[in-house]
Amino acid sequence: MPKIEVHETLFESLLTQHYTDDALEGIFPVAKAELDGHDTDERLYKIELNDTNRPDLWSAAGVARALNTYESGALCTYDFFSDEKVRRDSGDRRLIVDASVEPVRPYSIGFAVNGKVVSETILEALIQSQEKLCNNFGRKRKSIAMGVYRSDLISYPVHYRGADPQVTRFVPLGAEEEMSLAEIVEKHPKGQEYGHIVSSSPVFPFLHDDNGEVLSFPPVINSAHIGAVEAGDEHLFLEFSGPGLDDLLLAASIVACDCADMGFTVLPVTCSLPYDTPYGREITVPYYFQKPQTCEVAYLNKTLGENLGDQEIITALGRMGIKAAISDSVITAVPPEYRNDFLHAADIVEDVMIGHGLSRFAPILPSDFTAGRLTEAEELSRKVKDIIIGMGFQEMMYNYLGSRREYIDNMHVSGDEYIQIANPMSENYEFVRPSIIPSLLESESVSAHAVYPHQIFEVGKVAYLEESDNSGTVTKNHLGILASGPEAGFNDLNSYISTLLYFLNVEYVMAELDDPRFIPGRCGKLVSDGRELGIFGEVHPQVLESWNITMPCITCELDIDQLLICREHL
Amino acid sequence: MELDVRNLHPLEIRLLRYVSVGEEITAERLIKELEYQIGHCNQAFSWLSGKGFISEVSRSTSIWYELTDYGRKEVDLGTPPVRIVALLKKNGPLSLPEIAHKLGLEKSSIGSAFGQLSKAKVCRMGEGNVAQLMSEDLPDELTIAASVLRKGLEGLIAETSLSAVELAYIKKNSKKRGAADSPFKIVEKEEVIYSLTEEGARAKQALLDAHITGEELGSVTSALLSSGDWKGRSFRPYSLNTPSARLIPGRRNPYSEYLQWVKDKLVSLGFEEFDGSLVENEFWNGDALFMPQFHSARDIHDVYYVKHPSHAKVIEEPYLSQVAATHQDGWTTGSRGWNYTFDHEFTRRQVMRSQGTVLSARQLPKAKVPGKYFGIARCFRYDQVDATHGADFYQTEGIVLGDDVNLKNLLGLLKLFAEEVAGAQEVRYVPGYFPFTEPSIEVHIKHPVLGWFELGGSGIFRPEVTKALGIDVPVLAWGLGIDRMALMHLGINDLRELFTPDIEHVRLRRSK
Repeated sequence: MPKIEVHETLFESLLTQHYTDDALEGIFPVAKAELDGHDTDERLYKIELNDTNRPDLWSAAGVARALNTYESGALCTYDFFSDEKVRRDSGDRRLIVDASVEPVRPYSIGFAVNGKVVSETILEALIQSQEKLCNNFGRKRKSIAMGVYRSDLISYPVHYRGADPQVTRFVPLGAEEEMSLAEIVEKHPKGQEYGHIVSSSPVFPFLHDDNGEVLSFPPVINSAHIGAVEAGDEHLFLEFSGPGLDDLLLAASIVACDCADMGFTVLPVTCSLPYDTPYGREITVPYYFQKPQTCEVAYLNKTLGENLGDQEIITALGRMGIKAAISDSVITAVPPEYRNDFLHAADIVEDVMIGHGLSRFAPILPSDFTAGRLTEAEELSRKVKDIIIGMGFQEMMYNYLGSRREYIDNMHVSGDEYIQIANPMSENYEFVRPSIIPSLLESESVSAHAVYPHQIFEVGKVAYLEESDNSGTVTKNHLGILASGPEAGFNDLNSYISTLLYFLNVEYVMAELDDPRFIPGRCGKLVSDGRELGIFGEVHPQVLESWNITMPCITCELDIDQLLICREHL
Repeated sequence: MELDVRNLHPLEIRLLRYVSVGEEITAERLIKELEYQIGHCNQAFSWLSGKGFISEVSRSTSIWYELTDYGRKEVDLGTPPVRIVALLKKNGPLSLPEIAHKLGLEKSSIGSAFGQLSKAKVCRMGEGNVAQLMSEDLPDELTIAASVLRKGLEGLIAETSLSAVELAYIKKNSKKRGAADSPFKIVEKEEVIYSLTEEGARAKQALLDAHITGEELGSVTSALLSSGDWKGRSFRPYSLNTPSARLIPGRRNPYSEYLQWVKDKLVSLGFEEFDGSLVENEFWNGDALFMPQFHSARDIHDVYYVKHPSHAKVIEEPYLSQVAATHQDGWTTGSRGWNYTFDHEFTRRQVMRSQGTVLSARQLPKAKVPGKYFGIARCFRYDQVDATHGADFYQTEGIVLGDDVNLKNLLGLLKLFAEEVAGAQEVRYVPGYFPFTEPSIEVHIKHPVLGWFELGGSGIFRPEVTKALGIDVPVLAWGLGIDRMALMHLGINDLRELFTPDIEHVRLRRSK
């Protein structure tokens, strides 16, 4: 979830009223925000935003806007948006996209701002917006990359085209000398971080002005000249590139509204595209592209369990920045320019809920009667645990992931049927537990200090490969028991098994087993009605040695799901 | 202070009752007069001095003689001189080697015995180097040996109890160490003399007043019960505050016990338990929950992929087609969808279940209406393992289906959980965000110990989730973060300890 830092002065200049920290904590939930901290030395508010689908809230201006609107109920208006009917004047500011860029990163759009000196605080805010939009919402620049440039140095039109990575050269930010695009991908830190987005393409995206002065190599790095924005600048060009137009338009709208809220004048830029889009080939940005979302009043009230009147609904949505009208019991909600998170009528319901005030909905228990029930496996597991504990065993609980050493090497088995993780974070968690026995032996290997005898068990899940299943794996409920101590031996094991299965009402026979985990001739399978229930035996000294255990161990592992089937006829 | 004499041991009681102020109390006396064993004396002295009922008056070392095995043989067969006299009397003169051979004795002891006899003029060495008997009367010196040896049979002989001649004999025939070929072993004993203290006198009086004799019954034995000997006698009271010996019982793991308690709570509230496979596929783990396939939480750095088989064979129809269409353009759910091309290869990719909500999604196609379901599911996340992140952990989740369930019911349910599961009285709801619910609510509670914290997340499943899985009624979905409460309940603050393999830790762990 995105976390932002907001400077006190900027935040206060954006808010229409003053809030104490307590007051902020009280009002923040309407923006699904949490006050993470307030650093009074650095004069920074730390804010966590919980809605990953509301990138408009990931900035000081965005949070302030949500609070102001909520308090006043008055909608924000921005006069610089074009839409399918209106095209704002963009003067000579144009961005021309060349078809050569289509296979690698087809879209680039932008707008300019002026009328305010970029302060240190505003620069930080812009950089933060860029980072949150591109990393969190833009999937680490894959779907959105944003660049900020010194507009006064640009000779419009700006050109976006595919460039030869070997031949095209410029001085990127953070470097002293010219590098080719290919060199940037290979050597520049940003190239190493983001170059993979484009590196498989024969051409790389390239942005330059009409004089051939370089703006950037999107989505990787700006030029060290036009792309080097500093505090004190007054004219900015903001550009967004990516594979999907809607994401870019939304990101541009959000940043444009933020800039306007911070006191800039937004100057539209007309973007010419060489391909058809739902908004034509000439799009003047910022561009309002969102569609109204409808929602039946009946559905809304049924979902909320309330009976809200039309005016209450319109007021509630207004406080969320949404212009709404109701006719024939259908709400038509017009999303604000900076939001595009309405996929379904359900999304309107939530905004009404928040706008109306969550605390105004009284909790009521559901009235349907339903019978509670545990799974059969859980019920049998409890029965098994009772019997095992009655025999003096301590219940253990273990992790379900482990290492090759624990599950395979130490057990002297091949591990052919074990489930391996393709992308383990560490070799300690590389395999899914196929059996409870390695877990129990791990206990023994770390518990030599605990008074003997040890009698431990776990009822838990194991999983292993099973070709016949759709997933090629199976998850089972197992019981594993282990006893260890100077006297631990086969006779005890026999007693534990016969006692458990007697009280579980399961008839069984023991069959021979050849298993490297056990001493040959001192282990076996438990079979009931032709069904394999599990295995048991004296742990082989080679296994104990691998685990660094110097006390004899006997163990048994039973399949609870098989036991369930055996008991079905009881 | 009132003297509590009920907990005294019979050995202490009998001693206290027997002795008076000013008398010397010694082991020797107790052995003789109270028939104590030496061990009893030592125990009684140690306990009573510890309590201050007796105090040491003096301490001295005395010499005692203990009959050895060798000595015992001499008692049975006689001393070598006596045996030589008897042999010569029976056989006539014999050479010393012949004597040694016949008596089975070492030549050296025959030599010294013959020396004694010749000195006392009982024997002499005659012609042909044979020993001859001169008289049959044994000198005192040799008869004393026999009487001292017999005395040794009765126990340790105090040095002070011997006459001068006896002492002379015994000194000659005893050793401190290596006494295997001597009739006696020298034993040094430290003798301590105690006397009753004032406190001891008070204890004695208290015993007399309470009629405690030290003859009270100790352990109740089977023999005691069958004989009926206990009748008419009293039982010795035992000390209540004696530290107990450690027992290692068979026992539940307190964390599993807590999870079981939560399960029972939920069952008591009308929820039916569900469960499922640890290996999931992207379809159920994310797609069915309307999380777009490009969602950041579905990244390789958030979910564990299964190496082999990397993909499930098939995804259940009609759900696959319905969910795919819902992602693409909303299908018939009333949504505009995510507007991208659904990846049918990606959806089959197998992962380790990363969220409990998967089980809710899987339950939907087979759920009853009305219905309430829950599960405590082991989940896996690609996280660095530390005090607050485990490689695998439990999530507690559930759903409520009903024709008319709504937001207010969701709030009611959350309040119920807060009160029943968390024991909280104060509840606060705030809007939340989950990709699969709309509206979404977080519930914060004021816990009696932990203060305000987020108990869980919840919401009403998006129609894109429910309709695509064939459900036309609203579904309330909830998840409870019970780990924090579990940690508090168990008095630990590191998630890793929930699954510790350390047997001693688990044996000793107890819950609040």
